Amino acid sequence: MSFDEFQNRARLYVIGALENGESREFEEARSHFGQEAEDFITECYRLHEAFALSLRPAKSSDALKERLMKMVRERKQGETR
Amino acid sequence: MPRRPKIPLESDPEESGPRMPATTAQIEPGEPTDLELMHGIQQEDPEALSKLYDRYNGIIKALILRVVHNEAEADDLLQEIFMELWNQAKNFSADKGKPLGWMVTLARRRAIDGLRKKQAYMRAGERLQNETEQQPDAWVHNATEEEINFSDTRVLIRQVIASLPPAQQEAIDLAFFRGMSQREIAAETNTPLGTVKTRLELGLKKIYDGLKELKDEL
Repeated sequence: MSFDEFQNRARLYVIGALENGESREFEEARSHFGQEAEDFITECYRLHEAFALSLRPAKSSDALKERLMKMVRERKQGETR
Repeated sequence: MPRRPKIPLESDPEESGPRMPATTAQIEPGEPTDLELMHGIQQEDPEALSKLYDRYNGIIKALILRVVHNEAEADDLLQEIFMELWNQAKNFSADKGKPLGWMVTLARRRAIDGLRKKQAYMRAGERLQNETEQQPDAWVHNATEEEINFSDTRVLIRQVIASLPPAQQEAIDLAFFRGMSQREIAAETNTPLGTVKTRLELGLKKIYDGLKELKDEL
């Protein structure tokens, strides 16, 4: 697999759209291209951020945050006991 | 079969022209960066989580809503995701990307898992109405401070995505927000598998290249 083809597969990989056969070939190429491949995959994850940032933020209630923070503080207290 | 929501990529009429984008929230002087907040969470500082939540809960919830199309489920998942973020923070490494990227990846996985569980339940005999008709759309919520902070970035990213042909947008929408495989997309859209693959590859490459150009402007 050429590096160009690997790049195409990497973009599919980060959004979970590789088919089974493609995944095997992709992993072989990933191993073959080494650090260059890992760096490219890391860069491809910017697609995740971009898709999320393309959305208009949604509103959530203050009560939700209060529940979350209560759970976090209780968890922390439980661990320190 | 109810019509799927089109990937909402059209430009907002009230938002004009490209400006310099920020890929994270605009942070006030003196406020900690995302990375500093992640380090705080790794040190088990609840205040750091509180600040990160304030900064990104709207984006993360919008992503979840885009997948599950249900306000109550989205709230439950949002809470679970930030709890998981707290519990898994030690696994975060700045070498692998930015905190927002990590959060989005985590949120998407959880939301798609939730969607699949629900779909399995539906297949078991439950009949639900068209979710997209009965559930509020994450795109039409009132503007929040967080939204304003992200608006420049959103406009620019949407311009990049909107430049794609609709068929490529749809394929990417189904893959990213629905977690569908190429085969599932082919079946869903009644399109040959090879065409789906081409649409995904071309569309993702265009977005990736477009983002690189945006990055140069940062």
